[in-house]
Amino acid sequence: MHPIIRLVNRNITVALNPGFLIWQVIFPLIYIFVAGFAYTSLIDEVRFGTKDLTYPAFLATGMIGFNIMNSTLVSGIIIWNDRRFGMFEQILSGPFTRGHYILSNIFTIGIIGLVSASLIAIVGYPIFFESAEFSFITIPLLVFSAITGSVLFGSIASIISTRLKSSEGFNVILNTAFLFFAFVSTAFYPAAGVPEPLSTAFYLNPLTYLVDVIRAGIFGTITDFVIIEMIILASLAVCLFVIATKLLSKLDF
Amino acid sequence: MSSILTHSLSKKYGSVKAVDDIDLKVKSGQVFGFLGPNGAGKSTTIKLLTTLIPPTSGSLTILGIDAIRRPLQVRNKIGVVLQQPSYESSLSVEKSLDKYGMMWNVTKKIRKDRVEELLTEFNLNEIRHKKNEDLSIGQRRRVQVAREFIHDMELLFLDEPTVGLDPSTRRNLLDFLKNKVKSGLTIFYTTHVLTEAEYICDEIAIINKGKIIAVDSPDELKNRFGREKTINIHLLGNQKTISSLLKGFDDCKIDFNSGTNITIHSDKSEVVLLEILQILNNNNIPIEDLSAMPTNLEEIFLKMVEHSNASNN
Repeated sequence: MHPIIRLVNRNITVALNPGFLIWQVIFPLIYIFVAGFAYTSLIDEVRFGTKDLTYPAFLATGMIGFNIMNSTLVSGIIIWNDRRFGMFEQILSGPFTRGHYILSNIFTIGIIGLVSASLIAIVGYPIFFESAEFSFITIPLLVFSAITGSVLFGSIASIISTRLKSSEGFNVILNTAFLFFAFVSTAFYPAAGVPEPLSTAFYLNPLTYLVDVIRAGIFGTITDFVIIEMIILASLAVCLFVIATKLLSKLDF
Repeated sequence: MSSILTHSLSKKYGSVKAVDDIDLKVKSGQVFGFLGPNGAGKSTTIKLLTTLIPPTSGSLTILGIDAIRRPLQVRNKIGVVLQQPSYESSLSVEKSLDKYGMMWNVTKKIRKDRVEELLTEFNLNEIRHKKNEDLSIGQRRRVQVAREFIHDMELLFLDEPTVGLDPSTRRNLLDFLKNKVKSGLTIFYTTHVLTEAEYICDEIAIINKGKIIAVDSPDELKNRFGREKTINIHLLGNQKTISSLLKGFDDCKIDFNSGTNITIHSDKSEVVLLEILQILNNNNIPIEDLSAMPTNLEEIFLKMVEHSNASNN
């Protein structure tokens, strides 16, 4: 078995605990089924591209992107725990290189991101199926989103985990960053109608681009702007991945 | 054949030389002890030898492989138990042994058998289902050492493996290691417990301030640097005149403790002892107890480090 596969196997075993599963599955479902329907009385319909969506359909598709982002927390947590509990040094004194270690983390979050995104897509399907317009690019777009989103947010989590030394600092910074990403984005509500500075802030946030691409795939509303968003997402993911890799390569024992 | 061969191996951090031109030759199938005071360069040397960090200069051959050019090839053949604890907090003892074996590409069947063997050998059966985060320091250390034996290796680095272990567990581990060496394993062993080094090591190197100051077998080190013996004589009752009676011995150091205990340190302890016994006999001073202690490795170690520090200064 290839060293990267062995490390991915180990990462998934270490990462999958009841707390994480609740975070990954139960929370998005509560958002979709409780918040989604509860807010329907306040938000009737949401305009997305050329379509008018019900709020639960808008939120369910946003939750796919939100879930991809959340799954990448695993990457930061794995690196952080490995450094904290001595496994980083132990692994690299074994039959692995830093390259194996870094790639295994990316594959781990890619797999977890893809599985949890699929799960939310399946569960949310009854809610958005009326507006859905599947085409031959729907699946490729969802896979693109899962992989790019995983790499992008996974790299951010990895960068944070390599720069901080205290547990408290790590938790505060990671949670604050991801809280910003989650709520200053179009995952929960549309950018149209919010005050100007906030709608600008929405588009400084990669999660906005991620959920826009996912929605474009599911609702068949691919525009030039969505293609630009895809290019920005991919470029940002590559840049952050390079930075994370460099920082991980320089990490001292 | 040598398992480890270094020539002028150095590691510099800025202007500080943590490891300074060391030459080591570790024969296969032996326990090689690596001793030194805190900050002497032991852990940096282990990190160099296990290819965790690259050297600044010098050459390094591990198991016949150029470790600077082919570190991964070396790491496939060695085992490492580092000084710092390493564990996966959320896994149980049994699961962490199994997963570690999987990481080393050990087949499922072999893993299953070895996990059972190691759980028994390291007395871990009672805690096999406990999570690593719930273990005591000593239990975690046992798991960490046991875990390394899940995979095959030719050379094992053990950096203070007995820290946190109780005396009987420590002795069991040392005997387990001795048996492994009999079956061909080479062990590079660091410890601060010098009785342990004396018990297990075939050869010992002492490092101080990044330089190797001695390499030899424990017995040879004692012969070379530890001719001095210590003799304790416990007298029956307080003998106030004893210090005046034993004046005039030039080749030894005599300490009088409260008039009932005499401690003699001498290179010629047998001769000095005979003379003192004669004096005590002539003066009708009864002896309650008498014991002679050969110099141990600890005293030699302290003497050598002190001497090395004095030379550097």
